[in-house]
Amino acid sequence: MNGLFEFAYGLSLWLMQVVAWIFNFIGLHDVADWFTSSGVVYFLTNAVAALIVFIVGFLISITFIWEERKILGRLMDRRGTQVGVLGLFQNFADGLKAFVKEIIIPKDVDIWVYNAAPVILIGMSCMMIGLIPLSPDFALANLQTGLLLIFAVFSIAPFAILIGGWASNNKYTVMGGMRAAGQLIAYEVPLLLSVASVVVLTGTFNLGEIVAQQQNIWFFIPLILGFIVFLTSIIAELERIPFDLPEAEAELVEGWMTEYGGMRFGLIMLSEYVRGYAACSVAVILFLGGWNGPSFIWPEIWFILKVFILFAIFIWVRGALVRVTTKQILHIGWKVLMPLALVNLGIAIAIKMLGWL
Amino acid sequence: MSDKKDGKEKRPRAIMLRPMVVTMKETIRTTVNTPNTVRYPWERLIIADGYRGRPGLVMDKCIGCGICEKICPTTCIELVEVELEGKGKVKRPQVNLGRCMMCGYCAEYCPKNAMLVTPEYELATYSRQDLIYDPFRLQYEDRPGCEVDLIEIKPSELRTGAKGHSIKGATAGLRDLPQVEDKKCISCSKCEKVCPADAVTMIEVGKNEKGRPIKRPKFDGEKCVACEQCLDNCPKHAITMKEV
Amino acid sequence: MAEMWLNMGPQHPMTHGLWNLRVKIDGETIIQAEPIIGYLHRGWEKLAENRMYPQIIPMADRLCYGSSMSWSHLYCSTVENMLELEVPERAKYIRTIVLEAQRIGSHLMWLAALGTDLGSYTIFLYCVRERELFLDLMQNLCGARLTYNYTRIGGVRNDVPANFERDFTRVLKVFEKRLAIVEALCDESAIFRMRMEDVGKLTAEQAKNLGVTGPNLRGSGVEYDIRKDDPYEAYSDIDFDVCYETGCDAFARYRVRVDEMYESCKIIRQAIKKIPQGPYRVKPPRTAPKGKAGWAHVEDPRGEGFMYVIGNGDDHPYRLKVRSPVFVSVSAAPAYLVGYKIADVPAIMGSIDMCLGETDR
Repeated sequence: MNGLFEFAYGLSLWLMQVVAWIFNFIGLHDVADWFTSSGVVYFLTNAVAALIVFIVGFLISITFIWEERKILGRLMDRRGTQVGVLGLFQNFADGLKAFVKEIIIPKDVDIWVYNAAPVILIGMSCMMIGLIPLSPDFALANLQTGLLLIFAVFSIAPFAILIGGWASNNKYTVMGGMRAAGQLIAYEVPLLLSVASVVVLTGTFNLGEIVAQQQNIWFFIPLILGFIVFLTSIIAELERIPFDLPEAEAELVEGWMTEYGGMRFGLIMLSEYVRGYAACSVAVILFLGGWNGPSFIWPEIWFILKVFILFAIFIWVRGALVRVTTKQILHIGWKVLMPLALVNLGIAIAIKMLGWL
Repeated sequence: MSDKKDGKEKRPRAIMLRPMVVTMKETIRTTVNTPNTVRYPWERLIIADGYRGRPGLVMDKCIGCGICEKICPTTCIELVEVELEGKGKVKRPQVNLGRCMMCGYCAEYCPKNAMLVTPEYELATYSRQDLIYDPFRLQYEDRPGCEVDLIEIKPSELRTGAKGHSIKGATAGLRDLPQVEDKKCISCSKCEKVCPADAVTMIEVGKNEKGRPIKRPKFDGEKCVACEQCLDNCPKHAITMKEV
Repeated sequence: MAEMWLNMGPQHPMTHGLWNLRVKIDGETIIQAEPIIGYLHRGWEKLAENRMYPQIIPMADRLCYGSSMSWSHLYCSTVENMLELEVPERAKYIRTIVLEAQRIGSHLMWLAALGTDLGSYTIFLYCVRERELFLDLMQNLCGARLTYNYTRIGGVRNDVPANFERDFTRVLKVFEKRLAIVEALCDESAIFRMRMEDVGKLTAEQAKNLGVTGPNLRGSGVEYDIRKDDPYEAYSDIDFDVCYETGCDAFARYRVRVDEMYESCKIIRQAIKKIPQGPYRVKPPRTAPKGKAGWAHVEDPRGEGFMYVIGNGDDHPYRLKVRSPVFVSVSAAPAYLVGYKIADVPAIMGSIDMCLGETDR
């Protein structure tokens, strides 16, 4: 039981004791005893821990939106959001706006599939929040196959996008959905190859152990090629400029998301940033040393700082470049990134066999 | 033109390195100095002196001649009757700002500089009726830069090196003057009644067979503003403009 | 995949203005294209028949609101040619300066729109920021930022303000440095070049046959510029080069326009030094003789603009005909769209620089 669970246990025990005292006061002693039994407290511990992790991850994802708007604003010689202190209230204003908008569903959509697409997206994204440890003390689950599970959940997105685009009964969205699926599937391969190189080097899928093995040297120094391939593939997976052809406003209005309005659109937008958070966290864990850092800062804070800086690099790339076309995306994905990833894998195998790490 | 740039044919240096360096430099520059944003409505842009916002009226100078009504390209000015103290019922311009395109012609052609261009541009209202500015609401205090002057030279003076003259000053002989065709005039004196600038006087030139005086209008070049009211109101279309 | 007709329709974030582009696509390749215009028709030529000659000048501004000075100057030139009225020297130089500043503003607006089409809002905001400098200069001169109403039949509306020369020199110095930055953002980005090179090819023969003029023609290698071949205003006294490229693709057209911006800076600097003193406005006659006709053509930022006017004996024109360069470029769209992918359409249409106001009148 790490620090998070101890805190959750203490909190739920206290909560159950208060509830039991109330019931004792009323006179129902059996119910009070049931409340403080170990089964209930154990269940509540898990629930509280999950809630805390979810809220923290959620707030960090929302802060990503704030960071993007502010930094993008300064890149373009303007101020970013201005609502509230330093612009932090803008996200809640946007969320409120998405809530109260009118829900317009086009005629003849396949209603089950239409509703299922954003649900799948946001559900998978929130599942990823739970799998990412911020430090040895603040981890919800410490699975032996954690890395594999994260990428398995990450890769459900093309499926959701495809069915979402198809179910909207619109020529443009079908094209957008197919383009998106093609792009996302094409960039999975270099992504997983670069991840495989780190796994080869460390010999484990467990996220905690991968970070523990980076005490001496962060992995992006020997595996610099892999780092660049990973970052490029992640930008393509997140559908950001320069790879945002599925969302290309110039040709296809909003791409596969055209017919989603109101809170559905809010959820899709949110899921993009949550996936961004998950991807940046995995990059930090695999290549940038995770929570290893000087001891005067809490490891969680150090981790979050690194994630923000990595996302700032993504925003910088977005501000500077134009969009690439389909032909060029597939060219870059298959003909440039995959050979680089294979070379990187070779380097990792060589380093492991020579016993340098 | 590729050969004319002394070999500076630009080649991309890396996939995306140069744009990123450029944008990073700009970001640093705009963070150290403030960004280019003007935080409207707490800050406003600085407007030039002669900015053409909505039209404005100086009630004292207006004579109700109607040149602004004639020259407006969108027919948004209409002369309406208002009651002014000391002058009784007179016609003054009313502007429909919903149609106005802020071209500045009313100020440019107004002979007494009574119509101005003002720097007011925040003109939103809640209904279309509110946008029709009657003469009292149209008033604006005259400031330097709000009057528009019209300085031209005659085509015959093009080679003589003459400086331009303002047609709004009392310079006789430099403005178009009405002239009356003797045969058509019936001495009704309507032109004298409608002239806003008191530039027409009826002069007796004789008596007709019934013993009634024959009057012909005489146009005063100093006072006439070439508003063509006499032209429009003459029942026999006897008046034409003689151009300078 | 089956062929289908796609409407890059009237309500679309990409189309600069209100028009419809129907493309027939086979998978992702375009096999046929059909532009449909007319959504912005305001009956301009008919409106002009009911107005006096001076009243049409602000209307001409609104023909193409992206380069409004160019069109009101074209109208004034036409009427001056009809009335055989000569304009003072100072007015000619002032008109030249203002026209070139308008050319820079219009090209900056084009580059901004091209940036958004390709997906980069950074280029958009940088270009619009530079354009603000020129809009402020125009505001000092004539009081308005977009539709100037500055040229008059017989000269210009008012004299230049007090700090004209100093302001212009400062702005041009800053602008050339900043244009180099924006150029670096576009030119030296491999992705930008990948998108613009080898798309939208229009050979010189095709361009000449279709009647395309302006930077689109000069991007195909034809060295034709009305400012050199048939000079008007003060262009015959000023030394400048005609910018042309032989690439024939979208990137060549982009380069032509950026080079034109540098040339315009050169022209403005020379003209500011050479302005003579003197009057700037001539009194035009009130009426035009019946049956008399006049025409004029100028190098609009988008091509060759042309107007033709016939007098009616009183102070309204009998007929006023406008030839717009963008009308021809848009009609020629099938020639340079067929055979390319749908993803190339924004790049190609962006490199043509369309302004729907003058197309539909």
